Amino acid sequence: MGKDRLLPILALILLFIASSSSVYVYATQTTMETLEINNQEYTIDQVFSIVRPRTSNDSQYTGIALDDLMIKTGVTSPETHTYTLRGVDGYEKTVTWENMQNGLLTKNRESIFSDLPKAFRIKDIVTIEVK
Amino acid sequence: MMIDRKFLVGIIVFGSLWGFAECILGSVLRDVNLPAGAIMTGVFAVGLMTLSRTTFARPGMQTGIGLIAGGLRLFNPFGGCFICSAIAIMAEGLLFDLIWTGFSLDKKTTQTLTNQVSLGITSAYLVYVGGYIITQILTPVFSSAGFYLENLIVFIPQILASGLLAALLGVITIPAVFASRKLHFTIQDRLYYPISIGISAFCWVFVIANTLIILGL
Repeated sequence: MGKDRLLPILALILLFIASSSSVYVYATQTTMETLEINNQEYTIDQVFSIVRPRTSNDSQYTGIALDDLMIKTGVTSPETHTYTLRGVDGYEKTVTWENMQNGLLTKNRESIFSDLPKAFRIKDIVTIEVK
Repeated sequence: MMIDRKFLVGIIVFGSLWGFAECILGSVLRDVNLPAGAIMTGVFAVGLMTLSRTTFARPGMQTGIGLIAGGLRLFNPFGGCFICSAIAIMAEGLLFDLIWTGFSLDKKTTQTLTNQVSLGITSAYLVYVGGYIITQILTPVFSSAGFYLENLIVFIPQILASGLLAALLGVITIPAVFASRKLHFTIQDRLYYPISIGISAFCWVFVIANTLIILGL
């Protein structure tokens, strides 16, 4: 088959993949008001009441310290673990303890890391998994 | 080896225009919460790369254009993750080059509207999704956190879905570029270099000045 005939077929296949992925993403969308940390559920107000505050280096963001959050929620030997932060849209990033020591969680449940690119800013965090 | 100056200047001017659009217009689109990535790829990236490819018809040019545009994006540390954007732009240039070379699109394949529309969907979608995936791999690799494959795998459906808008925009962009080629707009040789260098310089000076103003320097 010539490439001029292959091109429309490929375009249709790609449109099908994109459309079916959109349907899948829409169908699996969830909303969560609570935050699951190390398999335990918390409200954002709860964690803000027990964890010490932190401000980003450029003073642009304020929130609570992610390393202190892990300690206060009962993670032992925190430096031996990695941490996967997952947003409501499924976007997730795994970070080290050193990164957590430079990270904060805002009231809007967004992660800010002063030592990592903005790709590590996860919005609407619903889970922090300790591995 | 003889260096084709016209070709090199073409890379610089198209790359500068794309980088300028990403830095200035891309930031505006992000500020108003529009899907800037898909719009920039589906309209500006694919449009400028198609125009450059149909003008010069030489493989390798779009990789160079992506490098220039991505380089300019690094001078504008605002509006989302600028390192991710720069990596994505560079990857998009390379992918466009590979798609067009792979399909031998510099020949007669693109003459019918069906093929132009198909090419719009294919180029815009693969360039956008490919760039997105590459940046999701390379950004963590270059950071202290490292790359975890499972982080990428769980997000693949969202990436595949987000390319739909870019693909639909490509349906309009590529036929529009081919239609504009029929106008036979050409620049005289004696004006080509001053105009190209002037446009490129304007793009770079504007972006850098804008950055310095925002930083308050």
